[in-house]
Amino acid sequence: MMSWLPEGVSTFAPQIDRLFYGIYYLTGAVFFAVQITLLVFVFRYRHRPDRRAEYTHGNTTLEIVWTVVPAIILVVLAFVSRSTWANIKERIPPSDFEMGVTAKQFNWEAHYAGPDGKVGTDDDVVMDNDVYVPVNKTIRVVLRSKDVIHSFFVPSMRFKQDAVPGHEIPIWFKVTKPGKYEIPCAELCGFGHSGMRGWLHVLPQEEFEAWAKEHKIGSTAPAAAHG
Amino acid sequence: MSEAISHADVRHLAATHHEQSFVRRYIFSLDHKTIGKQFLTTGLSMLVIGGILALLVRWELAWPETAVPGFGWVPEPIMFGGIIPPDTYNAFFTMHATIMIFFAVMPILVGCFGNFLIPLMIGARDMAFPLLNMLSFWVALVANIIMLASFFVTGGAAAAGWTSYPPLSDIPAYSGVYWGQNLWCISLIVLGISSLMGSVNYITTIINMRAPGMTWFRLPLTIWALFITAILLLLALPVLTAGLGMLLFDRVAGTHFFLPSGGGEPLLWQHVFWFFGHPEVYILILPAMGIASDILAVFSRKPIFGYRAMAFSMMAIAGLSWIVWGHHMFQSGMSPVLGTSFMMSTMVIAVPSAIKTFNWLGTLWRGNIKFTTPMLFALGFVSMFVIGGLSGIYMASTPVDIYIHDTYYIVAHIHYVVFGGSMFGAFAAIYYWFPKMFGRMMNERLGKVHFWLTLIGFNVTFFPMHILGIGGHMRRIYNPTQYDFLLPLQPVNVLITRGALLLGFAQLFLVVNFFWSLFAGPRASRNPWEANTLEWEAPSPPPHGNFPGPLPTVYRGPYEYSSPLVAEDYLPQARRLEGRVAAAPAH
Amino acid sequence: MTLAGSLAMPHRAPSFRPVERTPPIPNAVVAIVVLVTGEAMLFAGLIGTYLIFRISAPDWPPRDLPRLPIPVTVANTLVLLASLAPITRALRRLRRGEGAGLARLLGTSAAIGVLFVAVQGAEWARLIHHGLTAGSSLYGATFYLIIGCHAVHVVAAVVWLLVLAALAWLGRVTPERRAGLEMATVYWYFVCVLWVALFGVVYL
Ligand code: HEA
Ligand code: HEA
Ligand code: CUA
Ligand SMILES: [Cu+2]
Repeated sequence: MMSWLPEGVSTFAPQIDRLFYGIYYLTGAVFFAVQITLLVFVFRYRHRPDRRAEYTHGNTTLEIVWTVVPAIILVVLAFVSRSTWANIKERIPPSDFEMGVTAKQFNWEAHYAGPDGKVGTDDDVVMDNDVYVPVNKTIRVVLRSKDVIHSFFVPSMRFKQDAVPGHEIPIWFKVTKPGKYEIPCAELCGFGHSGMRGWLHVLPQEEFEAWAKEHKIGSTAPAAAHG
Repeated sequence: MSEAISHADVRHLAATHHEQSFVRRYIFSLDHKTIGKQFLTTGLSMLVIGGILALLVRWELAWPETAVPGFGWVPEPIMFGGIIPPDTYNAFFTMHATIMIFFAVMPILVGCFGNFLIPLMIGARDMAFPLLNMLSFWVALVANIIMLASFFVTGGAAAAGWTSYPPLSDIPAYSGVYWGQNLWCISLIVLGISSLMGSVNYITTIINMRAPGMTWFRLPLTIWALFITAILLLLALPVLTAGLGMLLFDRVAGTHFFLPSGGGEPLLWQHVFWFFGHPEVYILILPAMGIASDILAVFSRKPIFGYRAMAFSMMAIAGLSWIVWGHHMFQSGMSPVLGTSFMMSTMVIAVPSAIKTFNWLGTLWRGNIKFTTPMLFALGFVSMFVIGGLSGIYMASTPVDIYIHDTYYIVAHIHYVVFGGSMFGAFAAIYYWFPKMFGRMMNERLGKVHFWLTLIGFNVTFFPMHILGIGGHMRRIYNPTQYDFLLPLQPVNVLITRGALLLGFAQLFLVVNFFWSLFAGPRASRNPWEANTLEWEAPSPPPHGNFPGPLPTVYRGPYEYSSPLVAEDYLPQARRLEGRVAAAPAH
Repeated sequence: MTLAGSLAMPHRAPSFRPVERTPPIPNAVVAIVVLVTGEAMLFAGLIGTYLIFRISAPDWPPRDLPRLPIPVTVANTLVLLASLAPITRALRRLRRGEGAGLARLLGTSAAIGVLFVAVQGAEWARLIHHGLTAGSSLYGATFYLIIGCHAVHVVAAVVWLLVLAALAWLGRVTPERRAGLEMATVYWYFVCVLWVALFGVVYL
């Protein structure tokens, strides 16, 4: 089943996939344990007129065991997840490149610094639905929305973040493989939600620089100081 | 108080009570059993409508932008010669979910079975407030009509998802929906009033009107479940009402509660909605859990395993359900630190469900299991609910949720818990209590065909949705073939739609069985399943006032199956044993 | 509201009595406590929203908008609290087994309620005239939503009291049949106490 996962191309992918697989095996084991037990019981204890069911109201030891064991497993799982979550969402590494993405019905606007070398000013270079980034660089993006809530989703990167009007949400990622990846919008945003997609073009550094020059991108480095 | 009245009086009143007119008896009836049946009628009708909407959704996903056979008559701009346009698609799944949750599953499980079973199972003659009870149905019906009417207004029905996130749901121009969304809000506010009336009644009745000897820990688990559900409803729905009021005001009164342009906050809606929404999903599952517990014990001919653990775990679920709402908002822009704490609470809330699962298995262990149709559905419930619960664990893990949020993984989860859970529970309940409700048995053979076709159709429909989710397939898109990376998954969509058609077809067996049995089924005896609980002390169907003669007295817990005290394998709660064994231990 | 009305008339019940033993707490009291709990959650939702907006706003109330009229409202609050006296008297009398003068007492409480709503309405008209509208700001929106929602509850409670007053006048509220009044009293107390809480949160 897990073979349906798209190839992972960001630094997030291995971390998330590891957890995904872990939970897959864990829940798979629980699944088989429960379903097989159910089938076995149903088969073994099927009705026979000459038999009488055992008269028991329960067993406290068992109750404790099957409360405590799942509780421990789940809490451990929560702690393991926590550290991955922190790596992705809380510890934002220093960026190599900064840009903005603004969602609107029904396009992704990519904002690059204009001649002034700053993102988010009037002279930004803006393009619809095509996001170009260099490979193996930490990209920092300020995610905005002009109208309704959208969600920036790159399946191959295992990355998703809602874009909320009135909020500027800082996100970051580092793609590990050059290529062209789809950016579907993952949050219902109106009749054009289906079909709202852009492309993430991940270029090797030199190609990216050539592209940036051609499009008069002011600065590719994190010129505007980051905090 | 005024209700204080002696036994003799009651018998006198019951005896002299004269025949009521047709209208009083079937339409504006004050009898909890009739009101229950009214809820069942509307709930099942809405289930058909919700199901047809689901099938339309499925058609579009498998064969995008092709005409749905038989739907050419739908006028433009809703459909174009049978082709579903994107905005209509959005309206369809929005209304599918709204109808299924608020107008099918809740009326059937809470409205119908809550009404029908509470007085009968606790040994009362009716609800505490029959008139309020009747009003609660009629108010719900008004809500129902408003919701259905929204299909016919300009701009069509609400199309912002059943979660109706603003600003999409807030500014008509964003969605193209005008009165549809307003009516959606109004309908749910009205439904909130109905539900409030219901809760008041259920809670009062269970607290105050239990038969003599019916202590709290002799209540059947169905009643525990309904009691806890009523409390959740009481506390959760008013919060939704507050949110709906604000949304409606934004739309019609020019306020900006959820609009950043006026200083408002879109995320606030999400907090309000999910603060209601998560307790709501347990409102959908708890009655089914209670029902399954009762049915499993009856047909295993065995006491329920861990009665108190079962009752306490439901309370734990209800309590914890108030602190997990943020797990729907991990990717919403909410602070990641908050995300972590919501992940913790979500993991913890799976523990009481684990307790319940294992106790169900414990109930089967060394039982003497009879495979009647209700039992098959109860077993199906356990099996399917576990799958749905386990997929919840993936989503509870915040990093994994980054990927699967808003994909079909969630859609798979939803349906395993609400269809595999709540609906299987509802089907089990219908087959189990039909004899009591209508005085006739349902057909077992048709019932079994219904079960197996439903089980197969259900899994063919919803299991592959996990695969779609793993493939990254977004939910709420009307045409997956617009995306390159989803093209390889399209055959799965086709398979799912075939499964859904089978699932819809399977339900025809229920329809046929239901109506055939209603008129031609064999007469049901008083206690056809040889069960212990009090409703089986009353005739099938019970008369007005439920128990002819005095109310039953309860001597023991509800699950004394295969007790060594008696030769038969059941020992009803109301049977008095003479001599030394009269006071059997409750558990 | 219909709900309130229906609770006032528990006597169109079916021809048997649903309860055959006297529970320790009467049905009517349990029911009204449950109802009030649900209503409290509605207001909890509204107040929660209000507090979130208030805490996250840079200045509250916004500088260019009119202040809420505190002295008038304090007076009005006292008026509302005064309405508790007649209804409490009525219930006490009924519990003691006296049935006289009920209609007048209930009518008085209801009338005070009407006065309270009328003063509120006048204040609203003034505020709107001065530019504090629901659409003008979150401040106005939350104010009208919460206070308006409370006003609706007061009106509903007033209707309930009037129905009871009419019933009392017809002699249909008696020491034996006082469930309606027991409930209405709890509800009226809820509405008044809630007002004090809202006044504290919203006006001060
Ligand atoms: C009946 C309804 C119901 C029920 C019971 C549940 C139960 C659970 N749900 Fe579900 N949920 C929904 C209905 C329900 N849900 C709906 C409708 C949505 C989508 C809303 C929308 O966006 O439209 C949703 C969405 C949803 C999300 C948001 C996903 C997202 O949008 O990204 C999450 C995230 O944590 C979640 C988690 C859980 C968990 C952990 C449980 C747990 O309670 C499950 C516990 C049960 C088990 C785990 C199985 C039994 C246990 C064992 C056999 C023990 C051993 C197990 C282990 C040790 C792992 N649910
Ligand atoms: C109780 C709740 C419930 C139930 C029972 C169902 C039942 C079904 N659901 Fe539903 N669904 C939801 C709750 C429910 N769903 C929710 C909450 C969402 C999320 C919405 C959102 O994103 O906002 C959702 C979304 C949802 C989607 C995703 C849409 C999208 O994201 O784009 C899909 C797609 O396949 C789907 C399919 C189905 C199907 C095939 C059924 C089938 O099980 C239906 C089978 C039943 C019937 C068919 C009825 C019986 C019919 C008859 C007796 C008559 C027979 C008629 C014919 C044969 C024509 N549902
Ligand atoms: Cu933008 Cu969906
Ligand atoms: Cu939830």
